[in-house]
Amino acid sequence: MDESDEALMARVARGDQKAFHLLARRHLPAIVGLARRILGNAAEAEDVAQEALMRVWTYAPRWRPLALFRTWLTRVVLNLCLDRKRRARWVELETAGEIVDPAPGAGEKAEAAERERMVASAIDNLPPRQRSAIMLTYGEGMTNAEVAEILDTSVSAVETLLVRGKHNLRRALGSMIDKDN
Amino acid sequence: MKDEQFDNLLRATLSRRAGATHQNEAAVERVLNRVSGPLPRQRRPRWRLPAVLLDWQFAPAWPRMAALACCAVIGFFVGIAGFDRSFEAPDPAPVSLGGGGIGSITFEPEALTGARP
Repeated sequence: MDESDEALMARVARGDQKAFHLLARRHLPAIVGLARRILGNAAEAEDVAQEALMRVWTYAPRWRPLALFRTWLTRVVLNLCLDRKRRARWVELETAGEIVDPAPGAGEKAEAAERERMVASAIDNLPPRQRSAIMLTYGEGMTNAEVAEILDTSVSAVETLLVRGKHNLRRALGSMIDKDN
Repeated sequence: MKDEQFDNLLRATLSRRAGATHQNEAAVERVLNRVSGPLPRQRRPRWRLPAVLLDWQFAPAWPRMAALACCAVIGFFVGIAGFDRSFEAPDPAPVSLGGGGIGSITFEPEALTGARP
């Protein structure tokens, strides 16, 4: 039977490297995905995932199971990503425009790609807490209660963050959304 | 664009941004390789409460409830009888303090207003 995250953390706290690798393998896909969504850069996302795992190992003896391990780890990843974004703002290569493909249907594809690029850019320009709420809700599919626990706030505050975030996104993407109507 | 369409656009954008599954798997393997080397020293708390203090459980359990009930019964009897009397010897009959008969507990109407308490 699979051990729970909390049981594995108790073993990690005693210096058990095997438990650490089990825990890492279990949660890495989720944290790499989350970091990629927030940073939009694969290499940076891998660095953040590694740093988060190192923190799990280093601080395991101090960790107390007051919340779910997954919640705590998501919070660590989120904070690391926001720190990185705060430190350096750069133009991501992945979001740069692509060369138009002459194949049939390429026009629609390019248009969709351009639209997603604009949405991603608008999300990046949101205030950190609104961006986090949008990422966790729409990117990770978390409930408002889970997001509230990760952001250390109330459910109603998360709802407010989502409403404001979407309002800001609509304002930023105004012309694009109007064009679709 | 309606709210639902806008929500779907957000979901689609964010899921595409997370990368394809095979890309993620490769990334996971790379990170696992990076952390499989020698790990740094763990940071242990300098001072910690003795385990017995951290293991307190406040959930009700039958032995604890029985102990609590015993304490309550002992407290009740000690409170009624006191330490200086045995349970067998009953208290003497209560002594009337007033000494004025039934009339002494009748409330007189107020002399000035005639109001009764």
